[in-house]
Amino acid sequence: MNLPGVWAIYRFEMTRFGRTFWGSIVTPVITTALYFIVFGGAIGSRIQEVDGVPYGAFIVPGLVMLSLLTQSLMNASFGIYMPRFAGTIYEVLSAPVAATELILGYVGAAATKSMLIGAIILGTSAFFVDLKIEHPVMMVAFLILTSVAFSLFGFIVGLWAKGFEQLSLVPSLIVTPLTFLGGAFYSIDMLPAPWRTVSLFNPVVYLVSGFRWSFFGRGDVDVAVSLGATLGFLVICTGIVAWMLKTGYRLKA
Amino acid sequence: MQPILTLSGVTKTYASGHQALKSVDLSINKGEIFALLGPNGAGKTTMIGIVCGLVVPSSGTITFDGHDVARDFREARRRIGLVPQELSTDMFEKVISTVRFSRGLFGRRRDDALVEQVLKDLSLWDKRDAKIMELSGGMKRRVLIAKALAHEPDLLFLDEPTAGVDVELRRDMWKLVHRLREAGTTIILTTHYIEEAEEMADRVGVINRGELLLVEEKTALMKKLGKREMDISLVEPMSVVPPELAEWDLTLADEGHKLRYVFDAQAERTGIPSLLRKVSELGIQFKDLDTSKSSLEDIFVDLVHRPEQAA
Repeated sequence: MNLPGVWAIYRFEMTRFGRTFWGSIVTPVITTALYFIVFGGAIGSRIQEVDGVPYGAFIVPGLVMLSLLTQSLMNASFGIYMPRFAGTIYEVLSAPVAATELILGYVGAAATKSMLIGAIILGTSAFFVDLKIEHPVMMVAFLILTSVAFSLFGFIVGLWAKGFEQLSLVPSLIVTPLTFLGGAFYSIDMLPAPWRTVSLFNPVVYLVSGFRWSFFGRGDVDVAVSLGATLGFLVICTGIVAWMLKTGYRLKA
Repeated sequence: MQPILTLSGVTKTYASGHQALKSVDLSINKGEIFALLGPNGAGKTTMIGIVCGLVVPSSGTITFDGHDVARDFREARRRIGLVPQELSTDMFEKVISTVRFSRGLFGRRRDDALVEQVLKDLSLWDKRDAKIMELSGGMKRRVLIAKALAHEPDLLFLDEPTAGVDVELRRDMWKLVHRLREAGTTIILTTHYIEEAEEMADRVGVINRGELLLVEEKTALMKKLGKREMDISLVEPMSVVPPELAEWDLTLADEGHKLRYVFDAQAERTGIPSLLRKVSELGIQFKDLDTSKSSLEDIFVDLVHRPEQAA
């Protein structure tokens, strides 16, 4: 195992995030505050409760998930796309770094950053609503699993993308809509019948639901199903990344 | 001599169908400086890419000091350094951090003294805290070399190391290469500048259209293929070479002011005495004689163009 190599990549990526540290911290804090003012304050005053949970608190897991997914995806995809774009990837490819080490460095750093941001959003939420977390261990487990899974997904996008347009296409055209329609700000039980069934095909529903369960003890679907879906997504992404790195897909000529 | 790197039957056909390498066999000796000469698109960079793991070969095997570079990639790559042709750098990084990064990436523990030495050797120490984007092209080239040396490689690839650098840096680079060789590093460089190969290399390989045309000791090559030229400076310019001199196959140069004779320096009979006799017999007056050795460049151009002429 080339530990100095993994550490070098991890550190390089964390330094890259560090350069935009204040932007990375301030943005989620402001966004979260805005969501609370709009959804919690304005709309929440009319909705009152969902499943016995005050609306302000109800949207917290969804808010965290929304940032977690977007951040993981963008950080990881940029992390591997930039060296490809700038040509500096030659060094990583010529180094004694195995595929697993490459993933540990790049995906590990991207997941770390999104978990940090997830924690910051949770912290900010605590200023606006009364937060109680019923299953803290599961909450952390979902946080980690989701960050890692979506960082892997981002890694795939970063390897696949042929330009900046494709790079921003996936987060803006797929992930954000899926998150908004995935019950981030409502319970899918509130939807009319056909839409509820349609929603079950949206993988984000399972992530949000499981995460919400760890806070309030109930979700849209059973927590075991949520956990299974999250793990399944993780396994699929790992498989695709492993295949891409083994064949040198868009990395080696 | 003991080979450090061996390529056997290495071919590469890109997805586009372009055949970049046609069965290359090459053996590089430990501690030598090997210059790979060839025009653009000859397959030099592809060959380096295959050894370093940037390009997947279509067939063939590569062994580095007894290790198959594909199967035993860790052991091989740990000891190989690459300075690419393109100035690909992390623009926002500091010089010193990017060199430390390279060392770590190749599995080496942090060693500030070594990094300092490498930076000093390349006159980069004063710029260690500068961001790479602030550096000139020549300085960026130095940074790439520092990165490649940070893990103390036994074999160093320099892909067009002096393309687009000024004379001073080129001289520095040559000195550095000689220093590295003294320390036991094997160096493979590709270049367009024949004088570079002439100056530095122990052996020269000429590659064109994916084929290694020849591999030879530089001195032997220059002797073997070396032609000499003799210019006879005339008092009165000529418009055509007199038919009496046809057997020497002379050409006119300098708008008829010079008669040029190309001969093989190794031949037993150079034909010079008889030519000069004939010239005076014909009453052609000349004021000067000048002979010169052909350079590696002439040899190279000759080799690369020969197949075209045959075809």
